[in-house]
Amino acid sequence: MPLTGLQIFKLLPNTNCRKCGYATCLAFAMKLAAGREALEKCPDASEEARAALGAASSPPIRGVTVGRGPRAITVGEETVFFRHEKTFVRRPGLFALLDAKGLSAAELDARLDQWRDTRIERAGETFQIDGVAVAEVPGSPEVGVKAAVAAAERGLPVAVLAATAEGAAAMAEKIKDQRPLLAPPAHAPDGLYANLAARLAIPLVVSARDLPGLAAAAMAATHAGVADILLEPPGADLRALHHSLTAIRRGALDRIHPGLGHPVFLRVGAGEFEKAVLGIAKFASLLVLPGYGGENWLPLWTLRQNIYTDPQKPLQVQPGLYSIGEPHAGSPLLVTSNFSLTYFMVATEVEATGLACHLAVVDAEGLSVLTAWSAGKFSGERVAKNLRQMEAAARVKHRTVIIPGYVSVISGELEDALGEGWRVLVGPQEASDLAPFLKDVWSAIGAG
Amino acid sequence: MALELKPKKWPGTIRTVTLGGGRRRTLAVGGGNALPLHAFEGSFPHRPLLALEITDTAPGRWPAAATEPWQGVLGQPAAAARRAVEGYGADLVMLHLAGTHPDRGNRSPDDAVADVRAVLDAVPVPLIVRGPGAGRKQNDVLARVAEACGGEGLVLHSACQEDYRTLAAVAVAYGHVLVAESPIDMNIAKQLNILLADASVDLNRVLIDPLTGGLGYGLEYTYSVMQRIRLAALGGDPMLNAPVVCLAGEEAWKAKEAGVPRHKEPLWGDERQRGINWEVATALPLVEAGAEIVVLRHPEALARLRRQLDGWFAETNRGVA
Ligand code: SF4
Repeated sequence: MPLTGLQIFKLLPNTNCRKCGYATCLAFAMKLAAGREALEKCPDASEEARAALGAASSPPIRGVTVGRGPRAITVGEETVFFRHEKTFVRRPGLFALLDAKGLSAAELDARLDQWRDTRIERAGETFQIDGVAVAEVPGSPEVGVKAAVAAAERGLPVAVLAATAEGAAAMAEKIKDQRPLLAPPAHAPDGLYANLAARLAIPLVVSARDLPGLAAAAMAATHAGVADILLEPPGADLRALHHSLTAIRRGALDRIHPGLGHPVFLRVGAGEFEKAVLGIAKFASLLVLPGYGGENWLPLWTLRQNIYTDPQKPLQVQPGLYSIGEPHAGSPLLVTSNFSLTYFMVATEVEATGLACHLAVVDAEGLSVLTAWSAGKFSGERVAKNLRQMEAAARVKHRTVIIPGYVSVISGELEDALGEGWRVLVGPQEASDLAPFLKDVWSAIGAG
Repeated sequence: MALELKPKKWPGTIRTVTLGGGRRRTLAVGGGNALPLHAFEGSFPHRPLLALEITDTAPGRWPAAATEPWQGVLGQPAAAARRAVEGYGADLVMLHLAGTHPDRGNRSPDDAVADVRAVLDAVPVPLIVRGPGAGRKQNDVLARVAEACGGEGLVLHSACQEDYRTLAAVAVAYGHVLVAESPIDMNIAKQLNILLADASVDLNRVLIDPLTGGLGYGLEYTYSVMQRIRLAALGGDPMLNAPVVCLAGEEAWKAKEAGVPRHKEPLWGDERQRGINWEVATALPLVEAGAEIVVLRHPEALARLRRQLDGWFAETNRGVA
């Protein structure tokens, strides 16, 4: 629980010496309680005060790092239940399940190379496979060990999905310097794996049949010396899982039990796409996905991108003349609004055509084209003024500007406002129709 | 250390809205008194409903994967409605009168009435009727339909802040449910409901459409605005406690990622499965944020959501009022 101003005041020297910059210790205490000051500013604060404040101001959900090096991933550290309250901060790690049984060395290498090198750019983010969850192969421990080592050598964070304590030890020991995550089989006796994780100083997943059991298992792991813990929530179906996920987040934020203040680990089986969707929306921090292809990865990556976008950031992009590809003086010049969704849709569509373009992003105060037009923010005058400010005339020689189909009514006004030699071409209403439009109309008029 | 999780109680309850009526089967939505899907701490007398979208004319821009289940009945609303309900298990149907749009066929209000009648005769479930969404034509079409189908308890989609009077009047006069659409904006959603109440619309006959952003195209804005609307509703705001309807299928299949074939983007995988996943990953978060009705396009997406929601609401009857 956070401390109140008065509780903090009682821990301060009460000398009103002003070294902190405040007239009284009480004033300083009030600022501390509101989270607007740091205790370091009081040079005379006691050890006791530091400890008490430290515990109270520690994050409600701890951060856990898996892996080392550039691809290491930190999860947790969330502070809110609803993203609109502030923002979700740590995008959940999406790990690919690797069952190396029956794979030849060459096949194993090929698969891991492919996972390491998979990259998809979307709306300013690079989607990658965040790590590899290597399953222990019972009866052939060396198979799992080899796979874990091969994944770690490629710089990929590794989760060890253990079947037995011996197998887990063999795998984790080999790559312990790469900070693997140790995930015991569900409902394994705590002590065994906790001691292993503590000895190797690596993060550990704990699980239990119910929430009190889970919190207790986390406490037991802490006492065994494990510093970094992930919680595997109970839940046989989506409804039960949703209950667990919700209760863990709520319990952590309300600090009802220190055992709940850890990120959440979720295993998704084959045919459980919906579970992954729910997990990404509702607080899971590290998910193991089965042998998925792009048809599963792409929607899940995109969902994560949406949910973890900072809602405090304005929905606007900076007005200006953007280049898609490497446009030249003969490339099309398109106009759109600076509402970020509109911009992203148009930019994505234009990119997909493979045709280089100049994209004039007009200051429409972050409104969509049609809304901006009705509000007078997308008039011919205003668009012309914007085009002049960004010196569009210097960038194209064809003097042709393509406007969104929704505002075809401004074409006359815009032509007049732009003056000598300019012509306005009315484009499609929907961004998704830009490709055929550019292909047919632009190439037909031969302006390029 | 004891672990005590207190259930969260709210002062507000979502309104219950009954769709259909007369000789038509009725379905009720809403009535929940906790955050969406929080069955562990509240009561939900009615489960979320899953609708399928059909169109008056063959749709122009649906990707192949989305039209495939409708082969043979595209642009035949009655036959498509029968397939949606009997074949695919939709709770209800949304007929999109896209072909009445001035730019997409400009079919007349009378054509629209004939299509709606045909669907009403073909299936016993409640019907959502979506207009062309083009200013005056929207009103002309939906007003004629409302008048010709009095007593059927249609869901008229939709009225907006700038233009609600005509549809408010016909919804009241002919006993239909009205969808109040707002552009991902809680204040406008509230303002519109205030305006509708002033126009004598019974708010127990209103649904909110918060405007759906599809996965990758603004889903997060819709998601958060819905969560904020629901928090206000459960907090007791009588102008925001209407059940919510989301056109998830339409927005999902609009996404480039839902349609681009694998040979163009090998990393993106199989396009059919990807499209269906796109729809599921749009719809499920919306249900979790408070959608009481989701309108879908692909029967497989519907079946997958059905499986999850059936488990969730095993003890709740399927909305039958
Ligand atoms: S520096 Fe410390 S002791 Fe001095 S006034 Fe500030 S809080 Fe009080």
